[in-house]
Amino acid sequence: MRILVAEDLYLLRDGMVRLIEAYGHQVVATAATGPETLDALRTWRPDVSVIDVRMPPHQSDEGLRAALAARGEIPGLPVLILSQHVEQLYARELLADGSGGVGYLLKESVFDADQFIDALERVAGGGTAMDPAVIARLLSNGSPSRGLGQLTEREHSVLGLMAEGLSNQAIGRRLFLSESAIGKYTTSLFGKLGIMDDDDTNRRVRAVLTYLNKP
Amino acid sequence: MRQLGSWVARAGVGFVRACVVAAVSMLVPAVWAAAVALGIRWGAGNPWSWTAPFVLVCVGTLALSRPVCRVIRFLVARWTATVIPAGYRQGGPVTRMSTGYWWNGFGYERSRRDAVMDQKWRTWWGDPATWRDLRFTGIAPLTAGVVAAFPPAMVAAAVLALDLPVPAARLVGALGLVVAVASAPYAWRTVEPVAVRFLRPSPAMALADRVEELTARRADATVAQAAEIRRIERDLHDGAQARLVALGLSLATAEKLMETHPDQARALMRDARAGATASLTELRELIRGISPPVLNERGLVDAVRALALDVPLDVAVGAGTSLRLDPPIESAVYFGVAELLTNAVKHAHASRARVRLAGDETGLVVEVEDDGRGGADARAGGGLAGLRRRLAVFDGTLEITSPPGGPTHVRMTVPCASL
Repeated sequence: MRILVAEDLYLLRDGMVRLIEAYGHQVVATAATGPETLDALRTWRPDVSVIDVRMPPHQSDEGLRAALAARGEIPGLPVLILSQHVEQLYARELLADGSGGVGYLLKESVFDADQFIDALERVAGGGTAMDPAVIARLLSNGSPSRGLGQLTEREHSVLGLMAEGLSNQAIGRRLFLSESAIGKYTTSLFGKLGIMDDDDTNRRVRAVLTYLNKP
Repeated sequence: MRQLGSWVARAGVGFVRACVVAAVSMLVPAVWAAAVALGIRWGAGNPWSWTAPFVLVCVGTLALSRPVCRVIRFLVARWTATVIPAGYRQGGPVTRMSTGYWWNGFGYERSRRDAVMDQKWRTWWGDPATWRDLRFTGIAPLTAGVVAAFPPAMVAAAVLALDLPVPAARLVGALGLVVAVASAPYAWRTVEPVAVRFLRPSPAMALADRVEELTARRADATVAQAAEIRRIERDLHDGAQARLVALGLSLATAEKLMETHPDQARALMRDARAGATASLTELRELIRGISPPVLNERGLVDAVRALALDVPLDVAVGAGTSLRLDPPIESAVYFGVAELLTNAVKHAHASRARVRLAGDETGLVVEVEDDGRGGADARAGGGLAGLRRRLAVFDGTLEITSPPGGPTHVRMTVPCASL
């Protein structure tokens, strides 16, 4: 994969590049500020980009803005946002266009390199990778939108794991169920949420969006 | 019937109040009248016989002016809920110097008692409130006093007239009684506008009060800030710092064991990784408590939106403003909203809440409503009292409407001058 790494702290950027290259992927560009990131996203159109939320010049949410702007121009451009803190507000903004290829994780998710690279590949493939903290807050939030109320408890937990970006196989492993059983649950919950789509990735993204209260 | 009863009660209460106002405001003129009577009795022709009445007038007026004003202020506050600040000057502390003398802010005295007495007199003479009170004791009898004296005077006149054997005089007396009763509920009311106009502190006194208030707030803010810094220091010291030491230890041990016991080394490194994750989580929580990252990145409105998504409560956020305020104000308002929403969950057991932010040229208004069981109040030492104090630093206010059974409505305002 051709990857862009946008991070203003040299040590972290360098470490990330080395980690990614250790897994045999290619880092085509690096950026250290918001405008640089937007330029690089436009010029290189990387297979996936790892972008820090807070970057110079204003040390606010430049990275996130650059990613949203680039995805506005190039729909579905895969980005994985890394941050020291996760906010549902930002997660919704990232998922709002409904085109998938989005990840939003805490910086320390790189501690588990295998899972991190796995998430990176998933996002590059048009899927999602959401931090469990965002999903957990949603689960604890007692205001399910229409349709979600009809889901069984099992379907709920399947949807939660789906929102984290796990595949049916991975969800099966997590819940100690077979992949085909998970397939049945997903089909039934897609039905209950009224999601009719042939493309599985698209359906999953839309289910997650429903989960995030954004029809 | 009931209406008549309530009217009679009002007339009765009004009559008593009118009598009280008349009596209090006529106290000083009564002293003057007594002095004049005394002078005439001792011989109006001899100028020396006027000395004692003159002294009586001076001393009586000076001694009575402050108590009379206090009583009027108390009565107005009691009957109309209009609080008129007194604005009397307070003497500073009296301290003993190393020479053994007592310093009271004006001069040195040999004993503490002398110093306190001296200070009392000097403060009293120099206080503009004293001269304001004197002026009021002259004005009050001619305005509120005269009006309030009307019903009792009418009653007295009617009683005298009814005693006469002439029928016309009796008729006039009965009419007078009716007029007295009818005017009783209103006659005492002139005391309020007169007191508000002539008893309120002058601009200079208001400024002195303001300086005192600001001094107190500055002290509050300094204490709160110092406590906050100590809390952060303690959290870092017991949390992240200790964990990082443990992390370093684990890594050092793992390095040592790498060659001889690779399995143990690997386990230690796994521990170290878990430790790093845990200390990052702790740091994140700490940072959220000091200065929430969304607030820095997006400003108040989006930060409140993010907060609304995080609390286990259905929160609707309405914002008619996107203005960026000074960071300290944004932070105070943000933590205010956070505290109110936490209260709504923890104490009011609410299921829904609404937050409205509106800003215009006059200032910022934030309203938080929930459908909980109410009963919130800003008792001293509580969270709401603390919030009120933190807003007061910016001249902001906090109004709470929370009847038992709910709903709770809280309104925070920060005036424009602070924005």
